[in-house]
Amino acid sequence: MPSAVPGFAPTLDSYLRSLKGHAHLDLTIQSLVDLLKRRQISGPEDCALATANCLRQVVAKSKWTDADTLLANVSRAGSKLMRARPNELVIGNIVRRVLGLIRDEATEDRNDGAPSETPSEGQMTPIGEMSQSFHSSAPTEAPRRPGPVGAASSANIPRSLSMLLSAKDVADNEGTISPFGNSGTSTPLHRTTNSQVHALRSEVINGIQEIIDEMGQVDDQIAAHAEVQIRPGDHILVYHPSPTVQRFILRAAQKRKFTLLIHCMPQPRGATGHDNYRALRDKLKSQGVQSIVMTTGGGMSYMSRVNKMIIGASAITANGGVVSENFSTIVAAAAKHHRVPIVVLAGVYKLSPECPYTQETAVEFADPMQHVDFSDGSLVHAVEVKAGLTAFLPANLIDTYITNLGTHTWEHLSGLISDHYAEEDVNLHLKAPQDA
Amino acid sequence: AKPVAAPAPPKETKPKVPVIFSHLSMAKRISLQQTDKDVDPRITLLGQQMAAFVVDDSTTRTQATLLAMKRVLAAYSTPQGTTFSRHFTAHVLNPQIDYLAACRPMCFSMGNAIRWLKLQISKVDIDLADFEAKRALSEAIDNYIRDKIDVAGPVIAEKTNALIKDKDTILTYGHHFLVERTLWLAKESGKDVNVIVIDDPFNPVGSEFAKRLRAYGFGKIKYSPNLGLLPDYLKLADLVLAGAEATFSNGAMYARAGTADVAMYAKNMNVKFVSLCETINYTERVSVDSLTYNEIDPEMCTEDGVRLLFDTVLPEHIHRTINEMGLSEPSSISGMLRKQEEQE
Repeated sequence: MPSAVPGFAPTLDSYLRSLKGHAHLDLTIQSLVDLLKRRQISGPEDCALATANCLRQVVAKSKWTDADTLLANVSRAGSKLMRARPNELVIGNIVRRVLGLIRDEATEDRNDGAPSETPSEGQMTPIGEMSQSFHSSAPTEAPRRPGPVGAASSANIPRSLSMLLSAKDVADNEGTISPFGNSGTSTPLHRTTNSQVHALRSEVINGIQEIIDEMGQVDDQIAAHAEVQIRPGDHILVYHPSPTVQRFILRAAQKRKFTLLIHCMPQPRGATGHDNYRALRDKLKSQGVQSIVMTTGGGMSYMSRVNKMIIGASAITANGGVVSENFSTIVAAAAKHHRVPIVVLAGVYKLSPECPYTQETAVEFADPMQHVDFSDGSLVHAVEVKAGLTAFLPANLIDTYITNLGTHTWEHLSGLISDHYAEEDVNLHLKAPQDA
Repeated sequence: AKPVAAPAPPKETKPKVPVIFSHLSMAKRISLQQTDKDVDPRITLLGQQMAAFVVDDSTTRTQATLLAMKRVLAAYSTPQGTTFSRHFTAHVLNPQIDYLAACRPMCFSMGNAIRWLKLQISKVDIDLADFEAKRALSEAIDNYIRDKIDVAGPVIAEKTNALIKDKDTILTYGHHFLVERTLWLAKESGKDVNVIVIDDPFNPVGSEFAKRLRAYGFGKIKYSPNLGLLPDYLKLADLVLAGAEATFSNGAMYARAGTADVAMYAKNMNVKFVSLCETINYTERVSVDSLTYNEIDPEMCTEDGVRLLFDTVLPEHIHRTINEMGLSEPSSISGMLRKQEEQE
């Protein structure tokens, strides 16, 4: 985890600072690729934040005169970042969100003509609107913006001949496809005036800023559901709680008296003590909530005491599986065996339209040096040492997903995905890279 | 002159444990000052070794206890005006056992062995001369160790080895000497076996085990420091072997914490999970839950943190239990125990 430790190694903070300078765009992208590859930026939250900031630079600095070029620029930069860390699904999610944003803004500009009238209205970030559209996710979802025909017929749109054509083009397309809000909006937008480019640029940048703001609020919004999930007297189990989970627990502790079991693995070789969560436990203690650190080889030994397990996700795949800390698969399976409900916490930006993993398996492997001394020749030489870093929990282990938009079951996830990503961008990871 | 107030006796410092685990016992170091004067020095030594987990697994503890008792017995002579069988148990044997139990909660096999020993003592003829009674008991202890421990281990290894086919991949958790003996035998009998050792992250005995396997000539050994990769490794495995600390009469297996996770996963993935256990470690008690019987690691125990040493593998996750009498299904264990009782 990058932190505020002073030093020369680049971190998320130093990268974000570097964006304020006047570095060349290619350099900005390449340096993030390097940081991701070297794991100097790691963890889904940091990766997502860095990606969003980097893409903002792409929108601001790259050369483009129409939305299609911008889309191409963003997807080129985005796929570079995705390839830098293929296992961090949030990077792809953010890229897709930004692409969807550009598509939205572009069609809106075409349809409304005067972009300044409706600043960033059709975005997915406003929470109220989102959850509303989620709950009313019936097939007859009302279009979110004025009907294309009406918009096209309004007098002030066609400013040039080409605009007239393209606007009509859109009107036709939207009329035929698109029962859903965002799809079918990728029709080419040919010549645009300078002011329109300018307006589109600022709107997209605003939209990206809203995505960044959303990421900052996610933990708080998820924590709002804590009281409902945690009851007095419960024994709640967490495994290496992420910041999201910690916030959730602390919020519940304000209202409820429960017992928290924190299952921990031993620290890597060399480090001493296992009190990573001292701060959390002190805060809980001051609220009168007891926390117990469980340091046990497996989850079955104490699971009969547990009422509920809470897992923080690094990513949720399209089929409802969850990428999380390595050992959590084992603990979750033990919980499942004891009929303990499992609740997954994740910001909606971690919900990915991809599903690269299908069953319980390690997603990433850890550095074996943390577990085995390299000077221990007889072991290093002859024995294959492997340890997992993150693992995939299949959807059948999980009972509930809580995002910043509310509480969902497995069946709701596909609706959330179609709300957040344009159909054209879902298979972004499969598209051949335009330049290697 | 005022009598100087005697220093308060050292308070019984019971280590604090979270309430939900406060029913479980744990080993503790007893200083020599606190030790009862009746405790034999040999037993003191053994007690300290048990409290420090130097003598750790149940079979070794039982064997060490019996051998130490043999030496206590050798040093004993019946005082005037009493008889061996009346005096020894009450005044010599019981303090030793209390001390050992205080050092570390007795395992089930120690309970079995001591019950057996007391029965043998009670059977000693009152008229028998001291030295004769001692010799007879001493021989009985030797025979007991030979039959129940020294012979049982190799027999179990042999029976387990019969389940292993050439080119099989065996997965095991942590380290147990019965598993080690079995694998060694498989290698000796010319089988090409792959081994996956998954370690207990808090007591990594598996890494040394992996090295010894290498020394036995195993070519393909995989090692993982915790259970995280268990699903991946079970895909490769043909058989899971695990040594038990004890076996309950409902067929459940009491073993190193984490074994239950391995067994559950193995069952889900249709890999046979086989438990190895000498009959000396069988108990007529029943456990359906890992917190009924368990022990807390005294090294890793604070007011708000606990490491459990054991867990209970449910019988439905166990394919076969192997003891020195043969292979049995977990459900047949209560019958086997009853039969054994009748013989004694």
